[in-house]
Amino acid sequence: MENVSTNSREILCISNERRSVPDKGAQNDKMVFADLLFIYVFLPLVIIFYLIARGCDAVLNKQRRRNRKLGIMFNESPVVNIALMGILLVFYVLGKPAVSAVMLALILLYSFGAEVNENPFANAVLIIFSLIFYAWGEPMYIVLMLVSVMINYVVGLMIDRGTKRSKPALALGVVLNIAIICVFKYSGFIAVNLNALGLNVDVPEINLPIGISFYTFQSLSYLADVYRGKVSGQRSMSGLLLYISMFPQLIAGPIVRYTTISEEINTRSISLSDVSEGSFRFLVGLGKKVILANQLSVLSSHFLDSDFNGLSMAGAWIGIIAFTFQIYFDFSGYSDMAIGLGRCFGFEFDENFHYPYISATITDFWRRWHISMGSFFRDYVYIPLGGNRRHQPLNIIVVWLLTGLWHGASWNFVLWGLYFGLILIIEKHTIVKMQEKIPKLFLHIYSIFIIVFGWVIFYFEDFSRLGGFIKILFGAGSAPKWDIITQGEITGNLYLLIIAVICSLPVGELIEEFYNRSMTKGGSALLTVGKSICAVTLLAVSTLLLIGDTNNPFLYFRF
Amino acid sequence: MSMNLKINRYDTKKEKRRKVSDIIYVVITLTLFAAVGVSMFIFPRSTESELEKRELAKFPKFSFETFASGEFTQSLNTYFSDTVPFRDDLMVVSSMIRNMTGFRINNIKFYNVTVAENVDTEPAETLAFETEETAGENVTERVVEGISPNAQTAVPENNMQQEPFSEITTAESAEAIDMDDTVNITNNGIVVVGTRALMFYGGSYTVGENYAKVVSEYKKQLGSGVNVYCMVIPTSVEFYCPEEAKQFTSEQLGNINNIYSNLQNGVKPVDAYTPLNLHKDEPIYFRTDHHWSSLGAYYAAKQFAETADVPFSDLSEYDEKVVDGYVGTMYSYAEYNPVLKNNPEDFVYYVPKNVEYTTTYHNYTLGENNVIVGMQDPYDANFFVDFSNNKSMLYCTFMGGDAKITHIKTSTRNGRKLAIFKDSYGNALPQFLFGSFEEIFVMDMRFFTYNAIDYLKENGITDLLFANNAFHATTKSTVTHYETFLTQGRQTAPAETTATTPVSVPAVTGIPVTGISPQVKAPPVTSTIPPATATVPTGTTPAPATTTSPPVTTTAPVTTSVTSSATTTTAAPAATSVTTTSKPKSETTDKPKTTKPKSETTSKPETTKKTAETTAPASTKGEIISAD
Repeated sequence: MENVSTNSREILCISNERRSVPDKGAQNDKMVFADLLFIYVFLPLVIIFYLIARGCDAVLNKQRRRNRKLGIMFNESPVVNIALMGILLVFYVLGKPAVSAVMLALILLYSFGAEVNENPFANAVLIIFSLIFYAWGEPMYIVLMLVSVMINYVVGLMIDRGTKRSKPALALGVVLNIAIICVFKYSGFIAVNLNALGLNVDVPEINLPIGISFYTFQSLSYLADVYRGKVSGQRSMSGLLLYISMFPQLIAGPIVRYTTISEEINTRSISLSDVSEGSFRFLVGLGKKVILANQLSVLSSHFLDSDFNGLSMAGAWIGIIAFTFQIYFDFSGYSDMAIGLGRCFGFEFDENFHYPYISATITDFWRRWHISMGSFFRDYVYIPLGGNRRHQPLNIIVVWLLTGLWHGASWNFVLWGLYFGLILIIEKHTIVKMQEKIPKLFLHIYSIFIIVFGWVIFYFEDFSRLGGFIKILFGAGSAPKWDIITQGEITGNLYLLIIAVICSLPVGELIEEFYNRSMTKGGSALLTVGKSICAVTLLAVSTLLLIGDTNNPFLYFRF
Repeated sequence: MSMNLKINRYDTKKEKRRKVSDIIYVVITLTLFAAVGVSMFIFPRSTESELEKRELAKFPKFSFETFASGEFTQSLNTYFSDTVPFRDDLMVVSSMIRNMTGFRINNIKFYNVTVAENVDTEPAETLAFETEETAGENVTERVVEGISPNAQTAVPENNMQQEPFSEITTAESAEAIDMDDTVNITNNGIVVVGTRALMFYGGSYTVGENYAKVVSEYKKQLGSGVNVYCMVIPTSVEFYCPEEAKQFTSEQLGNINNIYSNLQNGVKPVDAYTPLNLHKDEPIYFRTDHHWSSLGAYYAAKQFAETADVPFSDLSEYDEKVVDGYVGTMYSYAEYNPVLKNNPEDFVYYVPKNVEYTTTYHNYTLGENNVIVGMQDPYDANFFVDFSNNKSMLYCTFMGGDAKITHIKTSTRNGRKLAIFKDSYGNALPQFLFGSFEEIFVMDMRFFTYNAIDYLKENGITDLLFANNAFHATTKSTVTHYETFLTQGRQTAPAETTATTPVSVPAVTGIPVTGISPQVKAPPVTSTIPPATATVPTGTTPAPATTTSPPVTTTAPVTTSVTSSATTTTAAPAATSVTTTSKPKSETTDKPKTTKPKSETTSKPETTKKTAETTAPASTKGEIISAD
């Protein structure tokens, strides 16, 4: 007991309150995964209903096999679907959600007609709960999401016809999706900048609909893939709705490609190992978010959100290093939770983070960081622009400008994107060519430095603060090099930082490899126990930390 | 989920093992998950937190509007995680986990320290505003209105102009009783050294000089027939601050001496510092609370008795009472640092044996935000209130708290009558002076609604003691309070004010009381000026209400307010402490967002009326519980 006293943590509410960036964390009250109500009410309900639905699906499929007539009763007609969705939306906006619920029921029922859909019940449950989940955070903006689904449904089918009309249809779809994201994400930013240019524009006050960056990007990828003939357009409204709105990936990614799960929408199986690995993955993600990222955010905001008067050089470094880990565990934690949940429901999403902080080069880093986003820009922007073959530097700059902007409607994100764009261009002509000859350690230090400095640009939306911080970071000006508070914070969070370092190395991968290889009697027993203890600890500690938690920033709100 | 799985064929031995492993793991995890999930529902939800001393979130009311705005769902999330069964116990565990992230050299841990700002002990006006006033002090402010026959005095002009933002958090106070000063002090940061928590001090020489000035003014107005004393009590950080942390705190001795040297008109300084310093190895301060202990107060009282030339009873003439297991305010201020929780201390107090005394309480009724909304009928009760069942509140053992005037009549006969103007430190003093004075009036600097001079004269006071801790003695609002007491309720108040007049009417019905939301920028001692709070919401007002305010007539409003606008004191903490305790607000100036002037916000008088009856019998205890 005595020793507990020496270990301490600082909840510096003051600095949290004093955040320089007023919006950051403002939406941390939306229902997200790292929330007790989600974990202990929503999730059990989904699981129970999903199990029942799977049972019903099994019965249905049996009946279908026995009775051929039940097989294909009808195929979905787009007109009917559009009409139903239209009515749903109109009545929701009119404040009659009961009618909307009936329409939703009809849309879902409509998907029961074709044999191809082997799990209409399970899909219905997922869709209903996904919509509840979204409506929880955005009771009105759910309309926007549904409108987006409807648009993409129509456009997808138009493209799919394969006639001359498919190109204009794609163009229309792209324009509409981009228009949606521009209006709801960037209009304020655009207006402010127009004002700065001397034009007098009213700055619209639009709150960013949660998850909009993710679902519009998913829609875009769907349209593009249909156009390229990789998949056929989804005829079932509920099928597309499931793809866009599925709650594990809805608000915090990853940006799941339609090609990845198009088959699983209609046919999917869940094995014991899916549940085992999926649930473990979820708990790992939960732990990353609640145990690591949340604690680190206390540390980082203590330094980064302070007024810089008392900030020392050491404090600045500790603050930004803490943020470096915080953002990784936050983002990858959410991705893990999404991938894990998806797995439990029978979907296999692609990996989104692959130990980005062990990268040797920045080129490597961007193959490991937020992979679903990086590959989106690669496949749908970079390559169509000409990729490596035509004006590569230009392509890179365009892609990284967009990447920056995607992270938030603010100039510092643009700068952040350009920063990486330029570094990548330079790397292509220097380091990448002679990578073998340079010591690994050196490369690693170089990359980490570039990445950490990138987070500085990422963090400060206010350029004067950004400048002030950079000065302190490099010891320019009168800021002290070291101070006792920083020292206290370093020792007081030392274990946390060490754990953070370890957890960003591929130890998990090593253990998994070991796990797969060592299925001997003793090894398996050991691993079973180890895994169970890990899971139980992660769940218990995360739950405890979520009780009365005042510091649970939701970093994804900007996306 | 495992029921309905299409289990793959596990052919090989390896596969079989794997399957078994998976089953065991899934069962274990699922069991824990289900157990926690079920216990979230079968056990009763927590409704209040003793730790944080607040009521927990309530189940939100559903309406289409609140749903559409997302407010309903948000509140539901908050409700669910805030009211988890066994919350306080789990919070203790959770804070232990949070404290396992590293280690602390020499057991020193800082909280809320703003580096390099408090170091300056030089007389610097601006510094004082920045460091002390901005966030914390306001916490103590309250609107006193309607209550007593008084024309309220406006805050001195400069006050409003110089610190337009300092009031923002004004109404936020959750602390009715003795915690206001705490919040002040926490604002300078806290350090936990070993098992002792200390609040850093940042004081301004200039404010101290003003304090000396106002104390001297009392002497001037009271004349030679009344002895006036000034005792500035150092806080624990002065004696126990570790070397490493000294840079974050200012030295108090210099400040105290500066105050003493500025006393005029024959005000006598009472040097409490020397005896305290002499006995600093004894438990004269609490380790887990921001107050001094009874023993500390004893040494100071002795010094005072010497200065005042009155008899003084030795400690042997007291019954020593000990309540163990005391963990005071610093536990929550130091973010539930487990070291404090795990090292409780004894709360010792001394009950006089050889003197008879009766204690009469004139309790103030507080509305939301600790605004005085009325005064209860005086009643007699014990000077010492039993808090052994509510240990975190043990400091309220003395008179049950702050929001009152306490009148003690003793069996001593020497023709001396003492009045004490004090903050919560002063609460521990009176019992050592029962053998020294015939009567003692104890008045809190935050809860006093009469004209001080009139009141002291009417009661035939011969000795007036100002007993404030060093923090309050160098805090601007303290000075303002005492200035206000001099002018408020004066029968001959000039009837000049114009702009302020209309608003004073609703004031009586209690409107400004709740109207002041935490965001309102009200002038500091607005407390006493209902109009100012309503009409001069922000510091931007160029020429704020002047010195005197409307001569609200005497008795009429008094009765009205007492009967109709008495608000249950319990209402206050619910609304306010949420923010105060869980998130010590920092300078609101940094966050323009939160400072929307809400001056138009008004409370419905009906609500206050409804609760009026419930308050009436509220005794000391009721009030205290509400206090935090």
